Amino acid sequence: MKKGILISPIILFFLILFVFFYLLIIDRNPSELTSMLINKKVPAFEAKLLLENKTFISTDEFGNETTLVNFFATWCKPCRDEHPYLKKLSNEQGLKIIGINYKDDSKRAIKWLKKLGNPYSNILIDPNARLGIDWGVYGLPETFIVNSNGVIKYRLVGPISKKNYDAFVLKVKEVEK
Amino acid sequence: MQRILLAILVYLVTSQIVAINCYSVEPDEFLQNPKKELRARNISKNIRCLICQNQSIDESSALLAKDLRILIRKKIEHGNSDEEIYDFLTERYGDFILLNPPFKISTLFLWILPFVFLTAGFFVIFLHNNKSKKLDYNK
Repeated sequence: MKKGILISPIILFFLILFVFFYLLIIDRNPSELTSMLINKKVPAFEAKLLLENKTFISTDEFGNETTLVNFFATWCKPCRDEHPYLKKLSNEQGLKIIGINYKDDSKRAIKWLKKLGNPYSNILIDPNARLGIDWGVYGLPETFIVNSNGVIKYRLVGPISKKNYDAFVLKVKEVEK
Repeated sequence: MQRILLAILVYLVTSQIVAINCYSVEPDEFLQNPKKELRARNISKNIRCLICQNQSIDESSALLAKDLRILIRKKIEHGNSDEEIYDFLTERYGDFILLNPPFKISTLFLWILPFVFLTAGFFVIFLHNNKSKKLDYNK
């Protein structure tokens, strides 16, 4: 009995060592955070549009169909890499994508879209990151999937790429189930 | 040799002083009212920068940290309480944004385990001591 108690710190030490080692070798990104908005309604907001002199009112735009909300900026290199996949999602999957131009120069953004194409149904501007903070954004690009009830179901931090495109399309289909 | 050691020591001490005083708050962010500014600084010290995750937004020069510092100051100017500001941030970024994790059921182990280990450690030392004492007497 006493021997068991004396040996227990050693067992505990190896147990902790095992847990740490396991967390170290599994495929995970410890700096990636889960969104607080999952299963919550889209935050209500208004914002100016990039291409038109109009105001975007969120309550009018969400809740009809599956919608993607994509935070992007011209200064963000992964956003550029992601762009063809957004076009693919818009063309092949017929998805409505709302772009939020995060802390960017509007002129540059317009030029960028002319050059690379525009997959977005609306593009809003977020010059002071106020929208980004409301959506809990911390690293660009970020893409949210909003279902046809206006509920946020999934967030992807980082670009949609060749590697995760199919999985992402699956996620989009899952949110309506 | 001693001189080199002294130089290293002086370097270490002074570099620490510089590091301690190294804040990222920029002069244009300061609030006019020193009391409100102090409140903003104290809140900022408790808020994690989500880009440089082991720094507070008070120390971090990341863009998001600056945006959050400005937002906190705006909220203070609008008359929000400290609690309202913390709630606003945790609603959007979760408890992870707090450098001091709250005491909740989900964080129970985090708070209690160190004390459990400490007590267990003392217990083991005590048992071990008793055992060796007995051995001594037997001699």
